[in-house]
Amino acid sequence: MSPQAKKQENKILILATETCAYPGADSVGQAHSTYPSNTYILRVRAPVLFPESFYFDCFKKGISGIIVMSCGEECPYEGAFTAMAKKLDGVYKKMKEMELDLKRLRLTAICTVCNRSFLNEVNQMDKLVRELGPPQFKK
Amino acid sequence: MTEKNTNKTPDNKKIGVYICYCGGNISDHVDVEEVKKRAEKMPNVVVARTNMFMCSDPGQELIINDLKSGKIDRVVVASCAPSLHEATFRDAIKRAGSNPFIYEHANIREQVSWVHQGDPATDKASVLVASAAAKAKLLKPLDPVRVEAKKHTTVIGGGIAGIKTAIDIAQTGINVTLIEKSSVLGGQLNNLDKLAPSGEKASEVLQELLDQVLNHKSITIHTDCKIEAVQGYVGNFSLSISKKSNNKIEKFNIETGAIVMATGAIPYIPFDGEFGFGRHEQVITLQNLIQILKDNKSTGSILEVNGKRIRNIVMIHCVGSRQIPGIHQPKEDGKLNEYCSRTCCAAMLNASNQIRENFPATSIYEMYRDIRTYGRGQEELYTQASANKVVFMRYETDAQPEVSLTSGSDYPFQVKVKDSLTFNEEMDVPADLVVLATGIEPDDVSGLASMMKLPIGTDKFLLEVHPKLRPVEFPITGIFLAGTCQAPMDAGEACNAAGAAAVKASALLRKGFIELDPFVAEVNPDKCQGHGACIEACLKEGALNLVEVENDGKTVKRAQVTAAMCLGCGACAAVCPEKAIDINGWALKQYEDMVDAIVSDGFAV
Repeated sequence: MSPQAKKQENKILILATETCAYPGADSVGQAHSTYPSNTYILRVRAPVLFPESFYFDCFKKGISGIIVMSCGEECPYEGAFTAMAKKLDGVYKKMKEMELDLKRLRLTAICTVCNRSFLNEVNQMDKLVRELGPPQFKK
Repeated sequence: MTEKNTNKTPDNKKIGVYICYCGGNISDHVDVEEVKKRAEKMPNVVVARTNMFMCSDPGQELIINDLKSGKIDRVVVASCAPSLHEATFRDAIKRAGSNPFIYEHANIREQVSWVHQGDPATDKASVLVASAAAKAKLLKPLDPVRVEAKKHTTVIGGGIAGIKTAIDIAQTGINVTLIEKSSVLGGQLNNLDKLAPSGEKASEVLQELLDQVLNHKSITIHTDCKIEAVQGYVGNFSLSISKKSNNKIEKFNIETGAIVMATGAIPYIPFDGEFGFGRHEQVITLQNLIQILKDNKSTGSILEVNGKRIRNIVMIHCVGSRQIPGIHQPKEDGKLNEYCSRTCCAAMLNASNQIRENFPATSIYEMYRDIRTYGRGQEELYTQASANKVVFMRYETDAQPEVSLTSGSDYPFQVKVKDSLTFNEEMDVPADLVVLATGIEPDDVSGLASMMKLPIGTDKFLLEVHPKLRPVEFPITGIFLAGTCQAPMDAGEACNAAGAAAVKASALLRKGFIELDPFVAEVNPDKCQGHGACIEACLKEGALNLVEVENDGKTVKRAQVTAAMCLGCGACAAVCPEKAIDINGWALKQYEDMVDAIVSDGFAV
């Protein structure tokens, strides 16, 4: 093991709902299926918590890609999914204005046993951020 | 072990970080001691320790001692998934006399050591610890939300699990309503005869339970019911029921504090032509055989079925269970029953023994994949069957027995089998009767499950949160499950699950109030300007309101949270221009600091 941690490039932030996607990620772990380690999963109750500014701040701080792994229509907070999806529309609009590749932000639904979908999403985003590199902002 | 001078930290929060080896599950891939070294350099971290099993008593003692001695006032444990041990560590903190909500979990097993290897695993584990510590320093002690709870439980399903649940709850002094969709109580027990392995009569067991449930003053029973809607939350659920009586539909509501799902299972029905089923009268299911034995009045040495003398019976095991893609025919929805139904081996052997002991002139050939007599007293049934000269033949999954009609033979069928017990010798066994050991399938409760947001497994059985840590519980507080809706089980096991569900429901309601996690919205009155954006964004009507308050001699409007109604989703926090409202324990500011820890690779926050 190296004594000093290596700086991780092309970080992917995953906002995973505590009732669906987060246990889904645990299920991938239970299956011992490997995926890229540049992924950081934050357990959230419902991603509707995050204002538009949160996503831009993440990109500005150097996060290369964000995957919102929600419960989709199965969200235990009725109405939260629709409200969040609407908010992300606003985020996409501004990303376009800022000439950020829209694919850097992905909204998806992952269930507690959606191992394959989880791996698919993570691998696709990893491929993308490796191609694109960290986000560049125009001054 | 290292302890730093607390005076050197930028603010006054003192975080203890505890990293688990998980007996190699983590430490095989993550250099746990290296993570500890890095953690010691993280802001606000005053203590970092490791242990072989943090969830063990000595592991928990590390946290308790540090809290009691005042070394730390915030706790981060880096171990397995929080679903497994978050509650364990919060309890440890409580035992140390501290508030359990000063805790944050770093998931370095399921989300690190089981999915990454080598240096990247150690690096990621360090980042997750740093991120948890960044959140921990912003955590504050919280008080649980108190909700008044009705001392009443509704049990859905009147089979043996439902009946037993109702009796056990009622005996603790809590009222119960038992809802059954059919017109009789007892479920599948009505179709059974001598229960394996004890041999007691199902009808007698059922009668004893019925006497108790029908005569208990605290139990109300409704049969012929359909549940139209379920609303509310723990302590205060409301069920809309429609009940058929005298050709009329009666509608009523049940207000209840907790719900137990005991919706049961049904026998697997073979598809048309499966081992000749449905095409020949003498190819029957295990359930049919049990009914035949129950009603049988034959007195001679040979079993007679429908007036026909049965000289040979071939029994085929694992029909509708342990199905394998590519070998077995899936249902219309493409699904296979890949699970073992568990009860059929013992039930089949039980029936074989009865036949051989009462009708010695009837021979039995059992064709099996594996004999699974897993429970107490069941292996004896197998030994007994061997002593009773039941002939066992073992087939491989890809060489299923073939049932065909005979011509010119004395027997109506012959069953071809490749017997791996005799080195794959092919044999043709003549038979008068073929019995299929049909397994069980969960009753279709998808409508009810979607109404109540209950998880269903890919095998269509209802899913409990965790078989060891939170058995018979659903993720939705106040809803439990028992019996064969959960997994294949025999009557005794269903009663065990019923007892567990009953105790949990009673314990939940016994005080008349429930303490819920305090993860609800909180308004900072100094920042709130009364814009009302949060109220517009709020998803739960009534959870957030604008109220008038006095401020510096002026009447102003401020947002106010009704904690028991707040869902804790955070829709309000996202829209407040003043950042005056946030979710306790899951605050936006906490996430922002976690991202900072991640982007700085965990050591230069």
